[in-house]
Amino acid sequence: MANKTKSAAGIALKKVGKFAAKYTTYLTFVVLLVVLAILTRGGALRWISIKNLLIAESVRAFAALGVGIIIITKGIDLSIGFVVCLCASVAASFAQPADYSGALFVGKQFPLFLPIIAGILTGTVFGLFNGALVAYGKLPPFIATLGSMSIAKGLQLIYTKAAVVGSLRPEFKKIGQGSIGPIPNLAIYVLIAAILVWVLLKHTKTGTNFYAIGGNIQAARVSGIKVELGLMVAYGIAGLCYGIAGTLQASRLGLANSLTANGMELDAIAAVTVGGVSQSGGVGNVGGMMIGVFTMGLINYGMTYLAINSYYQQIVKGLIIILAVYFDMRKYSKR
Amino acid sequence: MKKALVALMVLVLAVGTVFAQGGAEATGKIKMAGIIRNQNEQFVVNYTENLKKVAAANNVDLVILDGEGQVDKQLDQLSTLLSQGYKYFVIIAQDGSATEQMAQKIAEVKGAAAYSNIQPSVEALKVSKQQYYASSPEAVAGQYQAVILDEYFTKYPEKAPGKVLNMLYLEGQLGHPAQINRENGLIEELKKLGYTVNFVAKDTANWRPDEAQAKVEAWIAAFSGKFNCVVAQNDDMALGAIAALKAGGYTKADASDGTLLTVPVIGVDGTPTGLASMKANEMYATVLQDAIGQSETAFYAVLEASKTGTAAGKTINGLTPPAKPIDEAPANDAAVIAQCFLVPFKPITKANLAEFL
Repeated sequence: MANKTKSAAGIALKKVGKFAAKYTTYLTFVVLLVVLAILTRGGALRWISIKNLLIAESVRAFAALGVGIIIITKGIDLSIGFVVCLCASVAASFAQPADYSGALFVGKQFPLFLPIIAGILTGTVFGLFNGALVAYGKLPPFIATLGSMSIAKGLQLIYTKAAVVGSLRPEFKKIGQGSIGPIPNLAIYVLIAAILVWVLLKHTKTGTNFYAIGGNIQAARVSGIKVELGLMVAYGIAGLCYGIAGTLQASRLGLANSLTANGMELDAIAAVTVGGVSQSGGVGNVGGMMIGVFTMGLINYGMTYLAINSYYQQIVKGLIIILAVYFDMRKYSKR
Repeated sequence: MKKALVALMVLVLAVGTVFAQGGAEATGKIKMAGIIRNQNEQFVVNYTENLKKVAAANNVDLVILDGEGQVDKQLDQLSTLLSQGYKYFVIIAQDGSATEQMAQKIAEVKGAAAYSNIQPSVEALKVSKQQYYASSPEAVAGQYQAVILDEYFTKYPEKAPGKVLNMLYLEGQLGHPAQINRENGLIEELKKLGYTVNFVAKDTANWRPDEAQAKVEAWIAAFSGKFNCVVAQNDDMALGAIAALKAGGYTKADASDGTLLTVPVIGVDGTPTGLASMKANEMYATVLQDAIGQSETAFYAVLEASKTGTAAGKTINGLTPPAKPIDEAPANDAAVIAQCFLVPFKPITKANLAEFL
């Protein structure tokens, strides 16, 4: 009888353990939220705090969705920050009022769709460029995107003459700063994008091909998957996400400058890694990516709320990135 | 393994609270926040350190948040602080274009803010009478640099025959109000003083010494012997230029003209490292951007608003808003002039260096 009880308890414990292992990413988020709620005496759970978090992390969420797809194909993208910066600058340049003397196109007022299209298109072109380098140029993604990072930075400086692209039109700023009822527009865009990427990854052949390419590129090729095309599509979609991120960033801030989105690649890569997207390729899902983004956001938010010295914040973020990748590598190294 | 990660994240946050500068404690004291664009420029560090001192002396609870050079981070920090009940802010914005949005958020809670170093937009000051400019008109720094150059070349006219200045010019971040106005002030004043200015080379080094050093090294290789002065828009870049000049052999044994370099190098800011360089007869002169004066004026303007409702038109830290608009934004608009406290720049040369050391 005692043995039976013991074994039942053991089975239950094992089940809990399995559940915890499967949903570590989500549990991390919940545990952090609880800790923060305690440390901020409930402040972190107020709607205003949640709203601030949604606004703060939305642009990064787009970058994370993009790089998440790339990492699933066993790639990496270091160009995110400067590509987003370039896209923000391009979008902003078409959103300046005609009568602003400091505008990039003085005396010209463009229709509202133009900055949106221009920003998104710029990102997509850069994504396809990265994809071509990796898929057809056979360059290691690390090197290819390191190069394109520098190109994007140079183009941004040339395009803007290193000046601030500011004083954007109110109707453009509303795209990123507005809200529908209490829900910020940015959060709604992210939700839509996350659903679309989820459908892509889970319910389309293109998506399953990404996993196959990341899991074992040779096997994918043998099984008839057009690997090069798959990689082009992955990087292209990622670029599209960066384009949206840049456009929304310009709208949200009401400006773009050469420092916009600098370092976003680290934030995005760290977020998706914390969210369970494996650097070894072939593993990851949209839910994890989003939880990763908001986990990092919670940490940022918590440190700001508690006014932790920024020097320590840098160390904390660095440690989290290193540890997330370390644990990820240990988990998947035996595959 | 990931359990360890969870534990670590929790631990990090918990340990972090040990280093926290103080959250939203209800102490009955006035709570003020400094939203500062970065903490890796000497001027900004001096500003912040003095702000802490003044706050402590006035029994004000102050938290400082570092924007790490990012506009979005500053906006997020402001939102977080507002959600914690903070209403009073001293701000060094990363970009003046974002100040209107900041001012609107602060005005929503009937708070107050003072902006230093980076000019807020006129629109930001128009948001409410509780928004203040506590900084120095940038063109004046350039004008003082011109006067210093004039003094030097009047004494040594053979170094600038025909009053022609062949200048290496290091600019700050392009589009930054200080970059535009310091250059305008310098050029216009030099013209008034009868000089012809040739920019042998002119480029941005983004306020940074390492970038300035690399730029000047390249310029020395390209234009050796073709320049007779080096002007930088801040001390950090001037020091980078000095390092390049020393490595390039632009030195002499005699410092009787005030510098051991063969060409005078002039900066702006009057940072401790800049002043040390002057003491060592390297940097010829600088113009003090008064970090202490700016931070105190900003602090007292906000404190006054928190106590009496507004600081507009009052005398704050010994400064009264100018009676008429000046040429430089945001103090060029009559509607907001009463909210502008102009902290004067001060030239620092060998003659008065001892006062600042």
